[in-house]
Amino acid sequence: MMATRRTFFKVLGAGAAWALSPATKLGSMPTMPDGNIDFAVVRGPDAAAAVKKAVSMLGGMEKFIDKGDVVFVKPNISWDRKPEQAATTNPIVVETVVSLVLAAGAKKVIVADNTCNDARRSYKRSGIREAAEKAGAEVPYMEARKFIKKDLGGEVLKQWEVYREAEDADKIINLPVAKHHGLSNVTLSMKNLMGLIGGRRDLLHQKLPECIVDLTAYFKPDLTILDAVRILKANGPQGSTLKDVVRMDTIAASTDPVKIDAFGISLFTDAGFDNDLALFPHISLAEKKGLGTSDFGGAGYQEIKLG
Amino acid sequence: MKNLRRGSQIIFLVFFLILFVQTEYKGEDELGMPVRLFLDFDPLIALSSLLASHAVRAVFLFSLVTVVLTVILGRFFCGWVCPLGTLNTAVSFLRMRRKPKHPDDGNFPRLRKIKYFILAFILTGALFGWNAAGFLDPISLTIRSLAIGYNPAVNGLVRSILDFAYMTNIPGISPGADTLLSFLTGTLLAFEQPVFRQMITIAFLFSVILGLNFLAPRFWCRYLCPLGALLGVIGTKQMFARVDVDKGKCVSCHTCNRTCQGDATPFPPGSWASRECLVCFNCSDVCPVDAISIHPTLQSTGDGNVDLQRRWLITTAAAAAFSVPIVRLGEHNKRPHPDLIRPPGAINEKKFLQRCVKCGECMKVCLTNGLQPTLAQAGLEGLWTPMLVPRLGYCEYNCNLCSQVCPTGAIEKLTLEEKQAVRIGLALFDKNRCIPWAMGRNCGVCEEHCPAPGKAIKFFDVEAVNKNGDPFIIKRPEVDPGLCIGCGICENKCPIIDIPGIRVTSVNESRAEYMLYM
Ligand code: SF4
Ligand code: SF4
Repeated sequence: MMATRRTFFKVLGAGAAWALSPATKLGSMPTMPDGNIDFAVVRGPDAAAAVKKAVSMLGGMEKFIDKGDVVFVKPNISWDRKPEQAATTNPIVVETVVSLVLAAGAKKVIVADNTCNDARRSYKRSGIREAAEKAGAEVPYMEARKFIKKDLGGEVLKQWEVYREAEDADKIINLPVAKHHGLSNVTLSMKNLMGLIGGRRDLLHQKLPECIVDLTAYFKPDLTILDAVRILKANGPQGSTLKDVVRMDTIAASTDPVKIDAFGISLFTDAGFDNDLALFPHISLAEKKGLGTSDFGGAGYQEIKLG
Repeated sequence: MKNLRRGSQIIFLVFFLILFVQTEYKGEDELGMPVRLFLDFDPLIALSSLLASHAVRAVFLFSLVTVVLTVILGRFFCGWVCPLGTLNTAVSFLRMRRKPKHPDDGNFPRLRKIKYFILAFILTGALFGWNAAGFLDPISLTIRSLAIGYNPAVNGLVRSILDFAYMTNIPGISPGADTLLSFLTGTLLAFEQPVFRQMITIAFLFSVILGLNFLAPRFWCRYLCPLGALLGVIGTKQMFARVDVDKGKCVSCHTCNRTCQGDATPFPPGSWASRECLVCFNCSDVCPVDAISIHPTLQSTGDGNVDLQRRWLITTAAAAAFSVPIVRLGEHNKRPHPDLIRPPGAINEKKFLQRCVKCGECMKVCLTNGLQPTLAQAGLEGLWTPMLVPRLGYCEYNCNLCSQVCPTGAIEKLTLEEKQAVRIGLALFDKNRCIPWAMGRNCGVCEEHCPAPGKAIKFFDVEAVNKNGDPFIIKRPEVDPGLCIGCGICENKCPIIDIPGIRVTSVNESRAEYMLYM
């Protein structure tokens, strides 16, 4: 059902008949000028090139980053798992984003996550620490002393401990990986923001959709880039066997977290994993709150294939 | 010579502390440092483990180096190498600053026997399968006391000071404290503040040992240390470092006895006890008339060795033999204690107890601080052996550090794949407390964290009704006992902060005789 829906949106979106044509290839296709869209999907095996392309389709990193900004980049580093296991954000994606941000004139880039497994192991095994440092970011562990209580003003989350450096940063870039999650079926961009808070996060599961919508409303990431180079389609969120991992070679970028999440859900359908928007109450809750629209294929959608 | 010795003591103590600090995850799956080196060179650990477990291990060869050197040099290990000996020297130094009341102030030669009786007790006990060496072996004792007692205390102190400085939000001070603390965690300090059960007790006992130095210099080494006793016996005939007092020159000033670290009584001439001598060279250094020389000779230069009186030795040995079956009695022999979750790789419980020397290396290295010293769960025999307390820390799926540091093979070295296949316990829901079962709300944090391939916790969609009587689907978690490895992360992360809705107990562990289900 989702696949057809997505295609349907594509047809509507930007009146782009090219998207459906099997003959569509990079170079030959009539693309819109970069920068006039708000939802970019790039498919292709070269993750770095895909990220770069997606960002430039949205108008380039300079559109999101001002000179001298302190930028907080939030990949998913939750688990002590290798990149192949698709439980953590692809390190190439992190590395590329960090260098784009620095090239756009940011003063400092911080890459961090409040991990579930041991932070030292997760930072290392995910390959993210090495990749982010190589690109010039600071990759600190989130230490207990740096969580401060804040008024989040959410429906459920009134007051909570927030990571100070994310709070103080000028911009936040969210870098989720698309993967299965037992309770919420998938975990995408909005849930990824849980890594910016501390405290008794385990309590949030009881009202997970409400909580992650509250977090999205509070943090309002300036840009979200979804890593679907590989997706974990079962036994998430940390996964174990490679059997559950499907290669999708897809990157999606947008300022609209709801679009990203709706698109992410469709990816699972493409991967042969039965899903339905109705199973994801956080999407409609977020829409209701005005955080974005689930109609990701509407105006502003552009998809291209690289390589 | 004295300065040479002090240099050696400082170097070995620093080396010991470096290894201690390195007994932590440092970014690689394999620890890069031979962190248990001191234990490997310890003949008492080797001998007691060998006797108790009837098994010879290749690492015991290291301790033969110590044995051979001791045959030649006597108790040089105590005087030049042993980290506890050095700590004792340091504390004794404080005491020696005061004026002695009488010539042999602080010397109690009659107490020297005690350590030999302790040694006899330990070795006989080991012969009957009770490995009690680690309680009093100085290396094991020091590592345990530092790991479980002192290290958490020092960490807590430094952290609270720097945390306070950080919280002040004063420019210059706050960021400085922040940088310093970030630097210290993972280098000199632990990555996260460690907490241990029995921390105060174990720290207190160690403080008592250090405090004894105010009664007599190096009280522990002179009168109590079983390793010292063993090395003394091995090194009785030390041929390269015999103390010789020239009767003709000696002016009976007692200075040598007063500075003797081992209470080896160089004065009066001929009463020197080779087994007590720590080869510290103090006597020859301080003698005002140069009557004392330390040199190689095959002749006897003293006859002051401790008379152990055979009947007392036999009595001690008999006491040890008889106490073995008695210390073993306990409820844990009727049924395994549910809380006694051993680290992955721990061998069969009976053999485990014969090998484990309670050194605390595994507890120090455990990533999550989940390995804790056992109190009564394994009887007196198992006091201070490691057990996993899931509420405090779980067993990290990709970690096998504890099996890398165990000096005696009580925890077998396992590859990661082997370790991941070991079950250390089983998780079972307490459905009266588990949120989806007891409260009709979704939760499933346990399912989220379960690392077992295929997930040992599975959700089942069940139709329930809410308060208004409307039907809704709830995800109820269940445990698959065939997949659960007992790592305890589910219990650790369960949001019910006191008594969790899912608990891991020792049942179904791989090394048990019977599995819970067939
Ligand atoms: S108990 Fe588990 S987490 Fe702790 S050191 Fe051993 S293997 Fe590592
Ligand atoms: S103890 Fe809990 S988390 Fe660990 S394998 Fe068993 S069910 Fe999974």
